[in-house]
Amino acid sequence: MQFLRLPLKYRLLIPLIVVLLAVLIYPLIFSFWVSLHDYRLTALHEVQFVGLANYIGLSGKMSYWNALRNTLIFVFLAVGLQTIIGFGLALLLHRPSRFRNFFRAVLLTPMFITPIAVGLMFRFMLNLQVGVLPYLLDKVGVTIDWFSPRLALFSIILIDVWQWTPFMLLLLLAGLESLPVEPFEAARVDGASAWSTFWKVTLPLMRPVLIMALIIRMLDAFKVFEYIYAITQGGPGERTETILWHIYKVGFRFFRMSEAASMAYVLVLVTLVLVVALYYNMKRGEYRP
Amino acid sequence: MNIYRRRRQLCSIVITFISLAALVAVLFPYFWIFLTSFKPPGLVSRPDVWFFVPSFYNWEDVIVRGGTIRYIFNSIIVGMVTVAISLSVGSLAGYSFSRFNTGGGGARFSILAAKMLPPAVLIIPLFLLMYELALLDTLIAIIAAHLTFILPLVTWFLIGFFDEIPRELEEQAMVDGATHFQAFYKVILPNILPGLGGAGIFAFVLSWNDMYYAMLLAGGDSKTIPVAIAGYWTFRGIEMGKMAVAMVAAITPVLVASFFVQKHLVKGLGGGGLKY
Repeated sequence: MQFLRLPLKYRLLIPLIVVLLAVLIYPLIFSFWVSLHDYRLTALHEVQFVGLANYIGLSGKMSYWNALRNTLIFVFLAVGLQTIIGFGLALLLHRPSRFRNFFRAVLLTPMFITPIAVGLMFRFMLNLQVGVLPYLLDKVGVTIDWFSPRLALFSIILIDVWQWTPFMLLLLLAGLESLPVEPFEAARVDGASAWSTFWKVTLPLMRPVLIMALIIRMLDAFKVFEYIYAITQGGPGERTETILWHIYKVGFRFFRMSEAASMAYVLVLVTLVLVVALYYNMKRGEYRP
Repeated sequence: MNIYRRRRQLCSIVITFISLAALVAVLFPYFWIFLTSFKPPGLVSRPDVWFFVPSFYNWEDVIVRGGTIRYIFNSIIVGMVTVAISLSVGSLAGYSFSRFNTGGGGARFSILAAKMLPPAVLIIPLFLLMYELALLDTLIAIIAAHLTFILPLVTWFLIGFFDEIPRELEEQAMVDGATHFQAFYKVILPNILPGLGGAGIFAFVLSWNDMYYAMLLAGGDSKTIPVAIAGYWTFRGIEMGKMAVAMVAAITPVLVASFFVQKHLVKGLGGGGLKY
């Protein structure tokens, strides 16, 4: 019962440390160990240490670079569109109006739905033969094959925009509402137009919230998997293979666990850089006057 | 003056139009899936049919004959256990991080980083671990996997909520003779009850929605509802009707929950820096 003599602040942490050691820290170390070995499920007794060979091997893998490229395109386009649309809607909903609370509550709902349902829902609705959207577009004389090789990635970006713009809206709306009123009054007294008030007052004041929302959203967008699983399974060809899908394919369809683990660790590094940026942004935001 | 009035009128027409467009964009998919779930099997693949005699064929098939009830039940158990563990462990740790600043900024940063970790790095070792322990295709495996991201998230939320409680509250209780721990669970915890509730519901929603871990660790009898939904896609019309039913069943409770958590979400995510 030695640990009972620890100060309270450490005793309170014991359950957290125990649980995280079991489900998070140990797997993380194990995963790193796997990435340094030639680990095959079919030959567990002859696991060999190969050092950084798995990581070095990644540089020559075309599908890996392709998946990275697709993911970057996905992250930047999806998060960019979400920011623009989300900011626009936030400014709009920020004005007092009779239906504001109702509007807000409804517009926020997509972010709470399981992504696999969103993916399948849109696969069904956008399908060229049985989908309702191509049917409606056909009525006005437009025919678009949403999941053709050229458009598939873009369609998946649009689906992400449908589901996650609400998240941007939620954070940016909260940001707008916590802004001080004085700068806006000063701008009005000085006769600034709505346009220049936005660029010179709103945007600079919103910077910390905007950066926070952007980074959180980007971190999440890197994890896109369900839409790909539901809709294209990486195809046509490898056009919609994202990094998480690629790791899943290599690890759980080809059973090359070591290679998959090394790719996952590269992703962890990217994530860490973003998280550090997020943390410093949040800390700065706290001490904002 | 007239020009200004006309401009303002135009402005409000544009705003109304955009709001309605956004509303339709969000609501139409729900409407369509709901409609599809009541279509008789022959009409499911007909996007031109909007009016028909509703049929309960799909609902009967999925709810009565299919295993959907069981999968929903699996999801509920996984969610409740995950939330219970996360709230009890997370509130103790969150209080320590918030009140004593245990570990300083480094500790808070680790919690944030743990929550953001890509699932791809954990799924391989978790899979191998559960394989070794013969726990694949059990609810325990899913719960363990969900704790990896939900426990840090709940802890992060609760740090923010604890930060807002004035110190005088527990000091008062301790002057009255309570130990620090008694002050924590008799005075502080009741004060963040709404926050605990919000974090708990949000954590449940995250667990309910996860397919990645659930599919890879438990694709058989221990399926959760998102994995079951994924299984309905075979591209034959009749399956789409059933899938629509499973989706309505999975989405409806979450939509209701969303109205309760929106408020707490902003506060929790912003680490107390944002107000709603």
